Amino acid sequence: MKRLIELCVNGEVYELAVEANTTLAEVLRDQIGLTGTKVSCGTGECGTCTVLMDGRPILSCLALAVDCQKQSILTIEGLSVGEKLTPVQKAFHEYGAIQCGFCTPGMVLSTTALLEANSQPSMQEIRKALEGHLCRCTGYNKIIEAVQQAAEQMTPKAK
Amino acid sequence: MHLPKFEHLYPASLKEAARLLKKHGANARLAAGGTDLFARMKYGLAQPEVVISLKGLSVDFPAVIKGGELHLNALMPLADVAHTAEIRERAPLLAEASMSVGSNQIRQMGTLGGNICLENRCSYYNQSHTFQFIEPCFKRKGSLCYLIPKGKKCVAVFQADTVPALICLDAEVEIIAADNSRQLLLEKLYTGDALKPLALSQDEIVGKVIIPQPEPVRGTAFSKFSLRGGVEFAALTVAVRLDVADKGENCYAARITVGAISAKPVRALKAEKTMVGEALSDKLFHEIAGMVASEIHPVMHHGYSIPFLKECLKTQTYRTLVRGAERTGRYGKK
Repeated sequence: MKRLIELCVNGEVYELAVEANTTLAEVLRDQIGLTGTKVSCGTGECGTCTVLMDGRPILSCLALAVDCQKQSILTIEGLSVGEKLTPVQKAFHEYGAIQCGFCTPGMVLSTTALLEANSQPSMQEIRKALEGHLCRCTGYNKIIEAVQQAAEQMTPKAK
Repeated sequence: MHLPKFEHLYPASLKEAARLLKKHGANARLAAGGTDLFARMKYGLAQPEVVISLKGLSVDFPAVIKGGELHLNALMPLADVAHTAEIRERAPLLAEASMSVGSNQIRQMGTLGGNICLENRCSYYNQSHTFQFIEPCFKRKGSLCYLIPKGKKCVAVFQADTVPALICLDAEVEIIAADNSRQLLLEKLYTGDALKPLALSQDEIVGKVIIPQPEPVRGTAFSKFSLRGGVEFAALTVAVRLDVADKGENCYAARITVGAISAKPVRALKAEKTMVGEALSDKLFHEIAGMVASEIHPVMHHGYSIPFLKECLKTQTYRTLVRGAERTGRYGKK
């Protein structure tokens, strides 16, 4: 039996009819058409499907859409305003933290959540926040550099 | 991978959830965070017809009540357990252990109760079985083990990180059933039988975790050993609690609990007893680490051999004891 749910995705409210076994990732990709959210392992190991639910990074492949009723979801499409990138996106771009780009939406969203909570994370805190993301291309160093750069740019300069 | 079809129910309270569990029997499963259940359902390891979601239930903030007991709602996400000031202050060991569970996203979704009730795991059974299971293993009601060819029983291990920490803190759990509720020492929740790891009946739910008042001079530490950090379950975990007398540096109570190396978390009782009355010293920690490694018998799991686990246990116990002792403020800083 399908159920009606209301989801707020990137500031827009959607009313959708979903089956109980539909995951949030399936709704985002197949029903809403926001394919920026990637799905790789489907079992919570790789972190590519990460989206922010009320500011918390969650795995959309293991979250049921019906459980997200009336929640506010932020996907990678909701970050930039038009062509204006956020500091995190810009830093990833500038530091070459992207190669194939498959892990990037999740990485960027997790970084956004991290910097929101902690504007000057230590190296260890960055590693801890991103440990649930697998990247098979960059070797992680460039990603961590990008996060540090983004943190620097987002912190107001000392007077 | 898609989830199989199931009926999804939203109870209004834990009592109602327990009644639903009773009504639907073995066909029903509880889902709190869902990070373990839904992954297992995708692999075809769990096929419940009914999933009872605890998502809509409210989660109370940790409360300190009579005699300084800390009451935690089992539905609290692990990330909140790790970051709540009250818990960091009164049970830093639990906060440290919660921080080591899975990845950040798993900690945001997964709950404390879910971690306590984690299913035992094994490297053969916990994978996709599309092309396997010609002969069922013990977990599938068969009579053989693929890991230990002539094994007589299932050797799946219990790999929850928070549980050794909670056992060190002498935590209790409140178990809610359809008609009544009971309180149980957490240590007694684990049966040691890999096929039925929890001493819970069909309609029982872990609702609350109760941590007794901490002693004034206490040092605790937790270590998790795994090859790939957050993407992996533990090869072994060691949790240590040392209570030191008001004056001097003699230890009057100690707890050493080792997790992930057998079907239930195990306490190193002989080593704990030896520590009582002793002054904290490097020599003592080496001796205790050796005792723990000889007293506890790990099973081979996830590609780690028994000699490797024993050696690792010795090293990890020593390091954890040193860290725990340093945190008492009576050791190392002279």
